[in-house]
Order: sequence, then structure tokens, then C-alpha cells
Amino acid sequence: MTALLDIAGLSVNFPAGGGLLDALIPGRKRYIDILDGISLSLKSGETLGLVGESGSGKTTLARAILGLSPISAGTITFNGAELRTRQSFTNMRRSSAMMFQDPVASLSPRMSVGALLTEPFIIHGVAMQNRKVKAEELLSRVGLSKDMASRYPHELSGGQARRVGVARALALHPKLVIADEPTAGLDVSVQGEILNLMTELKTVMGLSYMIITHNLAMVRHVSDRIAVMYLGRLIEVGPTREVFKMPLHPYAKSLIASEPQPDPRKRRADLAIKGEIPSVLNRPRGCEFHTRCSIAQDRCRSEAPELQAIGIDRIVRCHFA
Amino acid sequence: MSEALLRVENLSIGYDAGIGQIQALRAANLEAHGGEVIGIVGESGCGKSTLAAALINLLAPNAHVNSGAIYYKGADILTMDKESQRHLRGPEIAMVFQDPMTTFNPVITMGDQLVDFQHHIEGVSNTEKRRRAGELLARVGIPDPELCLRRYPHELSGGMRQRASIAAALLMTPNVLVADEPTTALDVTMEAQIIHLLRELRTDYQGAIIVVTHHLGVVAELCDRVYVMYAGQVVEQGLVDDIYHAPKHPYTRALIACDPAHFEEHTPILPTITGRVPSLLHPPVGCSFADRCDLAISRCREMAPPWVRISETQFALCHEARP
Repeated sequence: MTALLDIAGLSVNFPAGGGLLDALIPGRKRYIDILDGISLSLKSGETLGLVGESGSGKTTLARAILGLSPISAGTITFNGAELRTRQSFTNMRRSSAMMFQDPVASLSPRMSVGALLTEPFIIHGVAMQNRKVKAEELLSRVGLSKDMASRYPHELSGGQARRVGVARALALHPKLVIADEPTAGLDVSVQGEILNLMTELKTVMGLSYMIITHNLAMVRHVSDRIAVMYLGRLIEVGPTREVFKMPLHPYAKSLIASEPQPDPRKRRADLAIKGEIPSVLNRPRGCEFHTRCSIAQDRCRSEAPELQAIGIDRIVRCHFA
Repeated sequence: MSEALLRVENLSIGYDAGIGQIQALRAANLEAHGGEVIGIVGESGCGKSTLAAALINLLAPNAHVNSGAIYYKGADILTMDKESQRHLRGPEIAMVFQDPMTTFNPVITMGDQLVDFQHHIEGVSNTEKRRRAGELLARVGIPDPELCLRRYPHELSGGMRQRASIAAALLMTPNVLVADEPTTALDVTMEAQIIHLLRELRTDYQGAIIVVTHHLGVVAELCDRVYVMYAGQVVEQGLVDDIYHAPKHPYTRALIACDPAHFEEHTPILPTITGRVPSLLHPPVGCSFADRCDLAISRCREMAPPWVRISETQFALCHEARP
């Protein structure tokens, strides 16, 4: 299998707010690294789970891939072509789709479901014979009835709005779908329905998914590989099953251990992780996780670990892996 | 068991919706004793938030109490006059809301707000109230309470704000603490820390904690007893271990089976509950879960299910439930 998406050394930084002097004196302007040196690839037909706490840079990475956030270093290659110009990103967005986080808020409240579903065709100038027929076809693909086409987003339940989001993302037969928290805010039984639908459509339409989430229980069942991010860096990447079975990075370990278990007999007495994710404005020196790490040594406080390969398909950024 | 601190009896609440009344809560019963943590769990629209709002007397203006009562220390809080209700809210029954951002006023410092929350305490200086606020912030694990008191809400992270809102509720030394989805807006690492904090609090807190959540994991980690709600009714109640290991209501079983956290192994097709929750505008005569239940027979659709006693602590609202 060839890589559909290949990200190499990707960095995104934003200028830090400063005064007039900072803007005028060269070299004085400060930049905040939001993403730093991300290298990641996604094979055709694969589902990659991207996990981490809020503020770890997951959403920024998705936005950078789609050309919605300016890149400051590194390259993104999609389907064999490097993305650099505006035009190349526009072309790329024609064969990729984003499912945004909030299912209802990501649909325009003034447009009917039918109009929302056919909007991608108009944006990308793709011909369709009959708008109504097309909308109905898309609705039936995601298991909604035809008469939904005339409804407005506020008339939909969370699960229905999410299905519309799926239908809209798949309208142009994309190769890659980036789903940002596809199950956030949904009830547990509806979550399963949406994930099952996504899994089914993946097989039928030959999709590749990048699923951004902090719901570990969910990502465990839908993704082939997972990538764990912390403060804008990848800290561990590997096959889902292996990472869950034996996480190598202490952060991945504590993230997995933090997930509440739906079994009162498995209650934990201690806390897996203390403290909070530091601010990107105040990156800790050395290994960024040392402030919360239970095995941190002096070396971690001064020297930043490099990504190292473990076996054939796992990488981890830790001195003690 | 000792006399309940809080007892909800046969409570039914409906919302006026123009086209009729939505029966959001139907004949709910609940008991909370001092020193225990109770979980109210269910999916959206099951009535758990209506029940929580009723406990603290903050029902929406279009809500109608159709029947029932809520007894707190023997008195029905629903029939009290507004002034007595107001005195209960805070010092007796306090609430921690889901969104820690909207709990606080964005234009007043945390310190000033936490002092204001204590307005009902007489004969204590503001300096003393501020000192108490600082003490409680330290108690809920805020690293630098003095600094936090000087900050505005937006300067705190979500986890810190949720800790502060728990401190704000405890400041009033309530006998009942109602927490509505206290961890939903937080990351999993913060969630674990808030669960840990609430669990720690119960050791030195004599009152009852009532946690309302849709998250089965939170209930399993935190609660002693659980009430499972579906379509406005309490369908099962019991000790947390019985609910998770010997559930008697088909809905409880289905809900637990759907939770992806339940499976250790990679499961590409996750179980779901087929069908939809019935409309609460005209709730079904029989069992509300009948249309989605594998065990349903004609009786389930025709007759309201009985409240079956499984054991001294476990009950289920089901024709088919047996001890």
C-alpha cells in the first residue's frame, strides 16, 4: 500500500502578540510553535486515530493538512503531489473532506438539509444532474429518509445532524476524510451507530480516515494505527492494538490509564496523571512532558528526546522507551 | 438505613410546548442519604437534568410539577414559598454545573465572587470569607489559591474552573451537592482528576453527593448507588456493583453493552440500541422501552410495567424482571 498522505517535518507557528517595537525591530518578533516537526503518513484505506488533550495541536494539524492553517516548515504530500500553492490545496480539498466537531453548528442554520448536501458540488463546480435526486441518494447512503431533505438543521437530533455531516463529507467521493471528534456530544448508543456507519462506508467507498478525538475507548475500536500528540509534538505512533496493550511513552500510558472504566470492580485508587498540559507560551525545557512524568530524571529536564523507532512500525519520543 | 436526607416521591414534571405537555419526568422516586454518592445515569432526553433542576428548584418557567414531592429534612421543598426555597439553595442544596465557564461571572475576579457566594453568612468579615475561599481552593487542589483569587475566570483552565466551581459549592457547606455532568466538558486526564477529587471529598464530607451524567465510566468510578433513567422514568436502581454486573432491566443491559470502553478487544462493529426513544408528548401506555426491547411481549405494550423488587437495594421497572 502506498501512502495517501505523507507529512514530513510539518511545523505551524503563530506570531505572539507583541507591542509596536516587537513588530518594528527585526528579530524581535516572537513566534509560538503550535506544531513542531510532525512526520506522519496515512496509507490508502487506513484509519488513523489522532489523540491528545485539548491544546495538544490535533485540530491545528487537521487544519494544516487541508490548507486552512499556514505552514511554517515541512511538506505535505497528498496522493503523490506536494501541496504548496493555494491551488494545490484547493485541488486537494476536492478529494478530501472534513467533518467538523460540532454536528449542528457545522451546518448552516439557513440552509435546508438538501441544499447543504449538494453545496459541495456547487463549491467545487462538479456537475450533478438533479439536485433533489442527488440529495436523496446521499441521504439514503447514510440511512436517513428522503423527506429529511426539506428539514433545517435545528429540526435534527444530534445523531441525525451527524449523519448529515457524514453525507456532506462523502458527497464528492473523497479519498481522505478528516473527522474532528465525530462522536462528541452524542449518546453512547448513537455513537455506535455513527461509528458503524463510518466503518461501513469506508469499506464500500474505499475511504481513508483520520479521526481526531480524545475519546480513547472509541478510537481503540475504529482505528488501525494511533498517533498520540502532546504540546504540538508527536510522542508515540503505532498500531492501535499494540499501543493499547503496551504503551511506550509515559504520557500515552497515563492517558490510557485515565479513561474511566465502566466497571466498579476496576476502580483505581491512585491518579494516573497529575497536573495540566502546560501552555505553548511556556514550553517546558527538555522533554515537554517532564513536568507531569512519573519517571522523569535530570536528563529529561535538560535534553529533549528525539523520536526513535521501536520495531518496524512504532515510534516514540522518550529517553527511557 | 437511616432516614433519607433527600427523598423524591412520585415526581412527575412536564414542559408546556404549545402542542401539548412533554412528560419529561414520570413518577420518579429517589433517596439520598448522608455520606453516599448517588449516580443518575441516562441518555439525552431521559429526564435526568429535569430531575436535577427540580432538586435545586431551578426548573424552567414552562415546567409544571404534575404530581409528587421532594422532601428535604422532612419538608416538601416544592410547595415552600419562594423565600424559603431561596434559603435552601446554596447553604442546604448546592449545584455544580456542567460548563465551568458559565458558572462564574466573567467580569468579576474569582476572589470577589467566592466572597459574594458567602453573603448569607452573618457576622463574618470579608477578609475572613476570603481566607475561607482560599482554603477551599487549596482543598480542591488549586496549586496557588492566592493567585487564583486575584484571577478572572477566563484566566483559569477548564479543569481549574471546574475545581473552583466545586469549591464554590462547598463554600456554602451544603448537605446535598448536585453535580450535573461535572466532567463532560473536560479532557480525560482532567476528568480522572475531578473524579478523584469528588471521591476524596466524600471522606470528610457528611452530606450526599448526587452525580448526574451520561457517562457510565464516571458512575462506575465514583458512585455507591445508581438510578438508571429512560424516557422520563427511573427504570432501575441498585448498588453500583449490581447495576454493572447483574443489571435486571433490558435497557440497563443494552446501555452497558453499547459502551465502547466495555470491550478490551478491537471491535469494528459496535453494538447499538435499535429504534428511537418514544415521544414524551404522548408516552406509551405500556413499557417505554418495549419497542426497542428483545424480550418484549404483547403485555409489555399494553400494561405499564411493575416496579419489581429484586433485592433489598435493587429494583427494576420491567414485566420480565425477576429477583
